[in-house]
Amino acid sequence: MSRMSSPRPALSASAALREIAGVWTPYRGRLLSGMAISLLALACGYLLMGSAGARLAGLVTGVAVSTLLLRVGGLGRIILRYAERLYAHDAMFRALAALRVWFYRRLAAGAAAGLGFRRAGDLLARLVGDVETLDGLYLRLALPVAGLCVSLPLLVWLGWRVAPMMGLGLGGLFLCGAVVFPLLAAWMARGSAAEVSAAESSLRVAALDLATSLREARVFGAEARLVTAVQRREEALYAAQTRQGRRLAVAGFCAGLCGQAALLLVLAALGGVLLPGNLVLGVALLFVVIAAFESIQGLTRAGLLAAQIGHAARRVVEIAHEGPATESGLVIAPMTGEIVFRDVSFSWRDEPRHAARPPVFTHLDLSVRAGERVALIGPSGAGKSSLAALLLKVAAPTEGTISFGGVPLSELDTASLRARIGWLSQATHLFDDTIRANLLLTRPDAGDESLWRALDAAEIGDFVRALPEGLDSWVGEGGARLSGGQGRRIALARTLLAETPVLVLDEPANGLDAETERAFLATLNRISRGRTVLLIAHRLVGVEQFDRILRIADGRIESVPL
Amino acid sequence: MKSADKTLTRAWVRAQSRPARRAASPAVFAGLASTALGVAQAGLIATALAAVLTAVGVPDRLLAALALVLVLRALFGLAQERAAARAGIVARRRLRGSFLRAVVAAGPPLLRRQHSAAVAGTIVDRVDLLDGYFSRWIPAATLATAGPLIVLAGVWWLSPRAVWVFVCCGLAVPVGQAVFGIGAARAARGQFLAMMRLQSRFLDRLRGIATVVLANAEEREAVALGQAADDLRRRTMTILRVAFLSSAAIDVAMVAAIVGVVLLYRHDLAAALSGHPGGGHAAGTVASALAALLLAPEFFAPLRAMALAYQDRAQAASTAEAARDLESAVELGSESPDFGSGVTLVVENVTYAWAADRGPALRDVSFTAGPGDILVLDGPSGAGKSTLVEVLLGFVQPQSGRVLLNGCDLADIAPAALSGAMGWVGQKPVLFAGSLRDNLLFARPDASAEALDHAVRAAAIDRFLPLLPEGLETRVGEGGFGLSGGQAQRIALARAILKDAPLLLLDEPTSHLDPETEAVVVDALRHVARGRTVVLCSHSAALRALGTRRLDLARGVLMEAAA
Repeated sequence: MSRMSSPRPALSASAALREIAGVWTPYRGRLLSGMAISLLALACGYLLMGSAGARLAGLVTGVAVSTLLLRVGGLGRIILRYAERLYAHDAMFRALAALRVWFYRRLAAGAAAGLGFRRAGDLLARLVGDVETLDGLYLRLALPVAGLCVSLPLLVWLGWRVAPMMGLGLGGLFLCGAVVFPLLAAWMARGSAAEVSAAESSLRVAALDLATSLREARVFGAEARLVTAVQRREEALYAAQTRQGRRLAVAGFCAGLCGQAALLLVLAALGGVLLPGNLVLGVALLFVVIAAFESIQGLTRAGLLAAQIGHAARRVVEIAHEGPATESGLVIAPMTGEIVFRDVSFSWRDEPRHAARPPVFTHLDLSVRAGERVALIGPSGAGKSSLAALLLKVAAPTEGTISFGGVPLSELDTASLRARIGWLSQATHLFDDTIRANLLLTRPDAGDESLWRALDAAEIGDFVRALPEGLDSWVGEGGARLSGGQGRRIALARTLLAETPVLVLDEPANGLDAETERAFLATLNRISRGRTVLLIAHRLVGVEQFDRILRIADGRIESVPL
Repeated sequence: MKSADKTLTRAWVRAQSRPARRAASPAVFAGLASTALGVAQAGLIATALAAVLTAVGVPDRLLAALALVLVLRALFGLAQERAAARAGIVARRRLRGSFLRAVVAAGPPLLRRQHSAAVAGTIVDRVDLLDGYFSRWIPAATLATAGPLIVLAGVWWLSPRAVWVFVCCGLAVPVGQAVFGIGAARAARGQFLAMMRLQSRFLDRLRGIATVVLANAEEREAVALGQAADDLRRRTMTILRVAFLSSAAIDVAMVAAIVGVVLLYRHDLAAALSGHPGGGHAAGTVASALAALLLAPEFFAPLRAMALAYQDRAQAASTAEAARDLESAVELGSESPDFGSGVTLVVENVTYAWAADRGPALRDVSFTAGPGDILVLDGPSGAGKSTLVEVLLGFVQPQSGRVLLNGCDLADIAPAALSGAMGWVGQKPVLFAGSLRDNLLFARPDASAEALDHAVRAAAIDRFLPLLPEGLETRVGEGGFGLSGGQAQRIALARAILKDAPLLLLDEPTSHLDPETEAVVVDALRHVARGRTVVLCSHSAALRALGTRRLDLARGVLMEAAA
């Protein structure tokens, strides 16, 4: 299954970064304060080195230079450096947490139909990896670049005071080392950053394949093949990282040469004719030059980072942008009402190719009155589950209209509609959490009494009572610590807990043994009295009590005599 | 952490760092050369500056020599970076290989203990996180002791009077780090746990996002994720607070050294200048003072690099724990009995409990099945059928009793031989990313086109193939998304048919199929089962009709074997 969405033009990295900056608006104060502390710390470092050089030179030439600046610079550097690191990191992590939550919200608004053809492993890489790459945006990109605003004017000003040409020369060399070569690195890295992150992503997918299919691998003797697949992608990752590292190292080497040239320039100028006053200044300048070029050593790496961040930002924003398959309307859904499908055609679309699959059904009509119990029978792949998806506004029909209580679904508030419809399907997910947490998903305010009632209705209460930890027992990944039947019953209890007027049951008894299945369907008859029920199944067991039975086949619905 | 764990952790880290240190030696050598050139650079600059200040004039040769030193130094820096990257790759490749072997050896029971995302995280992220340990920390740790010593030798040569300032300030650094380092290791462990929890939570919530959204719970889940992310922030800050303290200690020591050098030489310079204004002695003292000043940052640079890499080191200890979690006590068998003429399965007094406090899932179960037998396992949900299948698959070892295949204990059979003997259709078939064809050939990569075609028809896959956009080449996502439960089940069936093994374990193979499709599949299974040993769990009447014998399981006890 995948969702309907139209192809969009590719998002530019800067547009993505603007969007992320928007998410961070509440943290702007913290982020800017961190930046201010960082600039002050940098200035103190220059003060320390410059005044130490000037003090010694002053002693030799007899020019009085105070040691006060030396002390202020030293103390300021120690304290401000620590404060900067702590404050800026904390601000960044807050902003990142906000970004994670924003991303999940956007995804939930868009990807209700599930992960589609996107891999969960790939998504995980995007979510965790890309969001973490984005922390470099502030700490390792914005802060050092802001530092240039202190370093460059200082160098040019000090150099100009020694000799105007010196100011221009130093400014030029500094610009080369701090801007030109890092930008060059960023430009060269643009391709390789994409290559590295694609390689990382595919390594993660291979590792996840190995981890999830350990059982299959053991049975089919495929362990060696899966391991080889992981290792092949691992080598591709190393190759990409090596290529990237080589380019970066060369750009860093060139930037380093700029610093060395600046040093020689100052020394050569000092060796020429200089007045005593300028001599002290010249020595101070030399020390500041050393410190300034040391501070930009990491900038070529930041150039690479800029490319990586651009990529990460684009992927994060792109996936967050994938809009909902259906728009939410404003009308609150009525408590209950007739469900009507009129002349509905539907086909799923494949992402990312956006190619339409063959229609699941065309010109379909169906109506279920409030309180009516209807069974919909048909072979797998006939579109039974698609009907449920349409009803829950997970997908929109390609043609025709669907209404609930006389209101077209497109005009209904999606959340209120979903609050009226309880849904249980073969795709219902049990979270790797406690039984209690799994149940509370549909009704967070439910008390233990309601939980037990729902569990008993699903005929799993006795089992849970017998567990040493009762409601707080862990169900495992996808309910792995339970048997198939037990897991389905917990999911059923969760659906029942919501006490919705409409129940859509998509193969609810699947995986239960015949005896329990009958008992369970009997329970279902009892608890669903007074509710609208749409049961979707590939066959009936015989104990169900329905008002109508419909058969869906070849995209059409026909009535089956009771 | 218990002290036994600590010892194990330390042993693991030591075992990892020995070969890593060898791999890092080119990087260390380049780093030492670069430091030595730094001393030369400081000496040359100080001499040139002293000449300027005392109005002696700077010889061109001096500048030329300096230029040469500067370029050489940049080249060694380049070499160091590349060597470090290579060392990181070599070490990561070795470590990942050992993790992969451990995961495969631990096998299916590992998934009972760990989330598959956690396992994948160990293989991918744990190892890549250690890149810093191998490529930064290990060279930096060596350089942090050797580098300052080289600089100290330079100080002793260029400005002997400043040596004690450097020694005092230098010694303050390891003291500070010893104090802060202990906290950092503990905090790193906490951070890793928080990160794994966050990752597992994300993956789990993403997998179930449809369930979350349809329950209108996306807002609550988002808030919960925010709390998890906030937890991660707090833990990370705990680490960083300490890591930053140890680098602040270096800042303090360096500032102290610079101020100390200025104060030390203030009197010397005054004395030298008043004695012999403009003389050679004064130039020498000035050069000494300036060299000491220039060497101060040089002296602390390796220590600073080590402090920066400290977080990388802290990662190693928590990786040691992740590595231990992968280890399994299970010894893999090595025997390869002959299964060519079919499999006789003997189950003797098998008892199995998933957890001691839940009571046994299987109690003293015994039965026998040979070629031609189709054994139907019966019993209510939770009676232990799936557990019995897991035991037969060798995924779990019974606490008592044994399973024999052709007289050989299952636990003693080599995994390769065992997999050759068994076909299996489970309740939750895993499909991985790739085409449908890849997913089918997984069972037998060398299968011929005819065999594949046969399996596709026998499992009734050809009935839904025309509905897929690219037939067998259609890509299926994780969990077989894009395929219905019944379709995924038929893929699993086709795999078993393709594999053509003498022992077949079928756990609800048709539960998602409609009667029509099921009839096709049952017919195919009738052919497949001929002459084989089959154990079947199913509630389908059509499938159960294939059975030659029936076993009833109730609360883990085998009740009756009826015809």
